[in-house]
Amino acid sequence: MAEELIDTRLLEELTEQSQDLNSDAVRITREALAEYAQAEPEPEPEAEPRRRRWRRGSVLAGAAGGAVLLGAARAGAAGAGDDIMALQTAASIENLAVTVYTTAAGLPFIKGGNATVAAFIAKTTTQHTAHAQAFNAAATQAGGKAQTAANPKYAAVVQQMLPSIKTPADVVKLAITLEDVAAETYTANVAQVSTPALRKLFGSVAPVEAQHRATLLAVQALLAGGAPELIAIPTDAAKLPSAAGSVGFPDSFYPTKNASPISEGAVQ
Amino acid sequence: MSTVNGGWELPISEGELSRMTRDLDQAHHEYLPSMYAAADDLSEQLRDSGAVTQAQEEQQRVASRRRFLIGAGGAAAALALAACSSSKSTKASAAPGSTTGAASSGTSNTTPSPSTSSSGAGVYTGDLKVVALATALENQAVGAYTAALAAAKAGKLGTVPPAVGTFATTAMSQHADHAKAWNAVLTGAKVPAITGVPLSNQAATLSALGAVTDVGGVAKLALRLEDQAAQTYLFAAANVTSPGGIATAASIAPVEAMHAAILNFVIGQYPVPDDFLGTSLAASPTLLTV
Repeated sequence: MAEELIDTRLLEELTEQSQDLNSDAVRITREALAEYAQAEPEPEPEAEPRRRRWRRGSVLAGAAGGAVLLGAARAGAAGAGDDIMALQTAASIENLAVTVYTTAAGLPFIKGGNATVAAFIAKTTTQHTAHAQAFNAAATQAGGKAQTAANPKYAAVVQQMLPSIKTPADVVKLAITLEDVAAETYTANVAQVSTPALRKLFGSVAPVEAQHRATLLAVQALLAGGAPELIAIPTDAAKLPSAAGSVGFPDSFYPTKNASPISEGAVQ
Repeated sequence: MSTVNGGWELPISEGELSRMTRDLDQAHHEYLPSMYAAADDLSEQLRDSGAVTQAQEEQQRVASRRRFLIGAGGAAAALALAACSSSKSTKASAAPGSTTGAASSGTSNTTPSPSTSSSGAGVYTGDLKVVALATALENQAVGAYTAALAAAKAGKLGTVPPAVGTFATTAMSQHADHAKAWNAVLTGAKVPAITGVPLSNQAATLSALGAVTDVGGVAKLALRLEDQAAQTYLFAAANVTSPGGIATAASIAPVEAMHAAILNFVIGQYPVPDDFLGTSLAASPTLLTV
């Protein structure tokens, strides 16, 4: 990393403000979890419309990769068992993210590198930890077991990539992959789970993972463009390349084609 | 907003910039077909649920009332009804970019036009009301970005960083895509599309836009709109009943949140301030004036 522009005092202040703001959201999520514990599953849709949705869903998903629509077709069909599996799979993804970010934080080129990147990794680790706790709390309240293991599919991917991680850009690339899988999975889950409270839970986490990804995409572009000094809070907006304004949000609609199946990280 | 203005050089090559822009555009269009297909499916689900029937009955009641007024020779009454409807529509739908508020500061009328409420109040009920709210919010965002870009072009915001210009242009395009998707649901459900901004907070939004004099002010206003949109979609995902509506709201919320993250970064704030998205800033369906 080249020049360092971080104002650590300001970063501390911003972090404090962020934590204050966050407390409200945490409270809301806890309320949602409490609601979930008492909620009844939504009634099954009538047979005929449901059959029609499945048929249309299959055709359209095949034609346009419409994973969102496929998710829509499944909505209302999930039961408590599926809900628990979805929650456990989500927790498995979060567990893996926590492990990866924790490992990354200890790498010499992160520890001694750009302070904003290091601060982002630290903050993101705590956020993924909070997500894992929320998903596991919901899973246990629904009668399932907490998932404490990492997602097996992506743990293998991480293992495979670890030897090739030599620079901050490598870390960022891996993190983008994980954040995207998380965001896609939870976006799909919103339409798959059976209660409003669970829809709210998944729906409150997916955008946060998407924000992690947006930030990382911007960081990746700045690293690739040879402007690591602009990875700072506050950054010098006037010096940001034009593309930095849009590289963080490449899709009008968040995709779900790489969403993990609900059973992928379920407790066996 | 040239990359050489202001005496700085682009930290990446033009080739890299072009490649990234191409990738962005390609990705942007990749999901549109599936979203339009999803809109069709959502319309069908709403028809199944009876929400559409309710809306159509309301439309028929309004139409029937007009026929009665005209048929009874009540031309004056009909005119009064039309005038009432028209003035309400104009007031409710005064889009940014029109000749009022901030938009008068140089923006062209490429923003949504008022044409929403000719069918009168109560057309949008149940899930369709949430869809109508979503469409209006998207139109509001498109209008705000359009007005901001026009003000920037007219030099009314001072020096505008290139990244901010790109952000506004791309975010505006994505909001327009969202509005199209929601409007496809409305028209598929045989209720009028919403092409204006029939929201009771629109006047305040226009006023706030008109008051800003620099990029930071515009960015903070945009951040408020993006946060509101993302949280409204979270509220919608938890509260609407149609599976297509849930899935569509779920797929848009993260995009609005990503806009917010980049805005936060650009204006010097931490990009991911919250562990969980909340709903305290979500727009209420009662904001709708149609």
